[in-house]
Amino acid sequence: MRLGLEIAVTGLILVASVYVVAVLDLVLGRLVAAAPLRLAEAVVRPVRRGALLFLQRPPRTERPDQALWILAPALLGAIAAAVLFVMPLGPTELSQSSGMRDVDAGIVYFGALMALVMVAVYLHGWAPNSLFPMVGGYRFVALALSYEMPLALVLIGAALPARSLSIGAIVDAQAGLWNLVRQPLGLPLYLVAALGLTFRGPLNVSDAADLAGGTPAESSGVALLLWALGRNAILVAAAAMGAAGFLGGWRGPALPGPVWMVAKSLALVAVLLGVSHLVGRVRLERFVIVAWAVLIPLALLDVFAAGAVALLAGRP
Amino acid sequence: MVRGWLASLAAGAPPRVFLLEGADPPAPACLLGQNGAVEVVDAPRSATLLVVAGVLPDALLDAARLIHDQVGRPRCTVQWTHPRAPAPPVAAFPVTCTVTGSVDDLVASLIRLQADLVRGALTSEAPILPDVEPAPWRGVGPYGQGGTGMTGGVPYGRPLAETAADRDGLKLDQLAITVGPFFPPFPTGLALELRLQGDLVQHATVHPNPFQVRSLPSSDESGDEAERERDDPFGTALDRPVAIARLEMARARHHLLHLARTLRLHGLDALGRRAMSLRAGLRPGAVAPLCDLRQLLERTRGLAIGTTGAGHLAEATVRNRGLGPIARASGLAEDERVEDPAYTALGFVPVTHDGGDACARWRQRLAEAIQSVQLAARAGEARSGGAGRVEAPRGPLTRESSATASALVLLPSLLEGMEWGDAVATVVSLDLDLRDLPPASTASAGQPTAAVVAA
Amino acid sequence: MAALGGALVVFLAGLVAWLGVRALGDVLAPPGTTAAERVPFTGGVPPTTHAWSRYHARYYTMALLFLAFDMEMVFMYPWAVVFVDEGIKALVEMLMFIAILLLGILYAWREGALEWA
Repeated sequence: MRLGLEIAVTGLILVASVYVVAVLDLVLGRLVAAAPLRLAEAVVRPVRRGALLFLQRPPRTERPDQALWILAPALLGAIAAAVLFVMPLGPTELSQSSGMRDVDAGIVYFGALMALVMVAVYLHGWAPNSLFPMVGGYRFVALALSYEMPLALVLIGAALPARSLSIGAIVDAQAGLWNLVRQPLGLPLYLVAALGLTFRGPLNVSDAADLAGGTPAESSGVALLLWALGRNAILVAAAAMGAAGFLGGWRGPALPGPVWMVAKSLALVAVLLGVSHLVGRVRLERFVIVAWAVLIPLALLDVFAAGAVALLAGRP
Repeated sequence: MVRGWLASLAAGAPPRVFLLEGADPPAPACLLGQNGAVEVVDAPRSATLLVVAGVLPDALLDAARLIHDQVGRPRCTVQWTHPRAPAPPVAAFPVTCTVTGSVDDLVASLIRLQADLVRGALTSEAPILPDVEPAPWRGVGPYGQGGTGMTGGVPYGRPLAETAADRDGLKLDQLAITVGPFFPPFPTGLALELRLQGDLVQHATVHPNPFQVRSLPSSDESGDEAERERDDPFGTALDRPVAIARLEMARARHHLLHLARTLRLHGLDALGRRAMSLRAGLRPGAVAPLCDLRQLLERTRGLAIGTTGAGHLAEATVRNRGLGPIARASGLAEDERVEDPAYTALGFVPVTHDGGDACARWRQRLAEAIQSVQLAARAGEARSGGAGRVEAPRGPLTRESSATASALVLLPSLLEGMEWGDAVATVVSLDLDLRDLPPASTASAGQPTAAVVAA
Repeated sequence: MAALGGALVVFLAGLVAWLGVRALGDVLAPPGTTAAERVPFTGGVPPTTHAWSRYHARYYTMALLFLAFDMEMVFMYPWAVVFVDEGIKALVEMLMFIAILLLGILYAWREGALEWA
């Protein structure tokens, strides 16, 4: 059945890319730390760490909200899976032949799902009934409300030349020129928002070291593993959207579509992980002011510039 | 079968360690995370091994027992002490293994221990504290009124928070919490009693210092002197001259270790490891790697982004308090080394920065580390000390006072009204160490002397 | 619509997969906890109250501002689809709409809604 095949493909991509993210994180960390890197060890280490967490006792605190605590990492995983499902891996004619994969309003769907990330992180912070995770959850809500706007706006800018909200159409509209070139503000703003989406590096306000680990402070064992996997999965999903929206998705010479899509997504993953190793955590209040006073006007500028360009291009 | 397969995979995993640092560890405990062979975690629950570095004072034993129980199962405790200062076994605190030696020895032992633990060759330690709920739930009755769940009395063992007014007029819940002696970013032993509303610190009090002056066991005179000079050059420099090269290299290492802690706090683990490996390979005159690190930090603004504007200390607050780099980061050129002819002969001029916030402080310490490495190369055989006052890395050190004591006084008023992230960044930027108590005066050589931890 | 149906199935499959792994972990892990092991971590001293409380989320004014912009987003999505066909008129109208909202951000900034500590 076609749906079954699509689900299997999505699952496979998810699992493989989560593992690759873990390895990339390790490799980039070693590079920044100027430490020796043995590739064989780097490839096995995430698996070993995962196995260790499997053998550790799952968490329990005094009066947690156990159902929501278990649900929160699962929600991250589900969001990532659903987002990766609609990422086009090849020409839309193939995807649309059975109506699978290409949602009519792709970026609305993406925005709606990524809004649930805030819910997942907040629940993960609230559920253990412990101070540091709770503070992490509340901090993340402030961050999420601030990065949502630039995220949605730059994607609208990417949709303007395509005259459609579906991701397949956005990729098709980049046949001549990538959105990275047409809308230079788009990808940098998107990457900042993606850093917040996956709460990494400068925008890691929820899982921060100054909160003794933040929302997973009371987590251990398989719960901790699933949270980390969910986080990596969201990173992959955000990178895939960035690749589709700004780097031309599956389009590219010589190599087949899926290979280009994977390569571009991994490139964005590497950029995000690199930034997370080089730039420290922001002061939340400062970032909120910057987001509202600088990033949103820049995103609006991006949208209107894209609109003007599209109008000029559309005019015969 | 699945468990056996997982266990064999997990046996090669890096040990997950939670650190408890006590008095007089063989080396600063955070060096354990230096080369990535060991994962130092931020909270005990996700750890497998509890490492107690040094000797825990009696005042901290209750907290240590609670943390021991909070470590996730399977768990194991390792005590790491100096070969010449073995820890006496503590009642009701089981230790599976004692390691005396260098950091590398400890890492090897930890890897072996975790492998045994995971395979089942070593049994997990039992909990120390009794299995008793903190308070019985009272639901119905005088002053324990109310129905079921969280709405009445002392629900599920603990009361709910009370309200308090806040500066924007809303009256919401205020959490009274003690961020305890073993909170990872804080210096070991620092317990702050806080009243938090949201994530804003409304009131902070510092608990009394749990560390007391310890004396090292006496050994023969010559061994004692040389070892003491190696371990604690600044304490020794109070009494007699010590080579400037040694003093300055110790200062540079201290500042680099503190920079590594700061980097780790702000999420830059990889850069923190880089700083620690720089520290390990530090040689007099080899300034280039430090300058590269500084350039990387400045170009990416990686650390400045989280520290600018946090924990501002005005000039007037820090003047003449004996705060060393903190004062110099607020623009005051207060440095004991200026009074020393040996230093002025080398052309020493104190480095200062403007700003007085956490950003200025880490920049100050990095600049001082670079300056120290350069001074150590130029110093040759020059000696300094014996005057009763010496400029230790944290600030001026005398027999009666130390910089930490002066800085702790500033803490409560400084933290009031700060967001939690800024508060932690500020505490870390003050470079406190509660073990940095002024050494007792030496009556005569050979007398057992107090220990001050040198980084 | 078939795509959305498939997306829902994938979403649920993701949930089930994560929950399944959690169940597996619960089975494989060592059992049991004591009361002392369940105490929330605050550095070694047990907390005096539950953490659940009426947390003062100081950014509530910023959340109101977000609501306004979220409604603007709702309008921009369909605008993006028909924009090129409608021409310069659509651009100018949306510009006016956005300008009013930007004034809103300016007002909120001046009133200190974005600075709460």
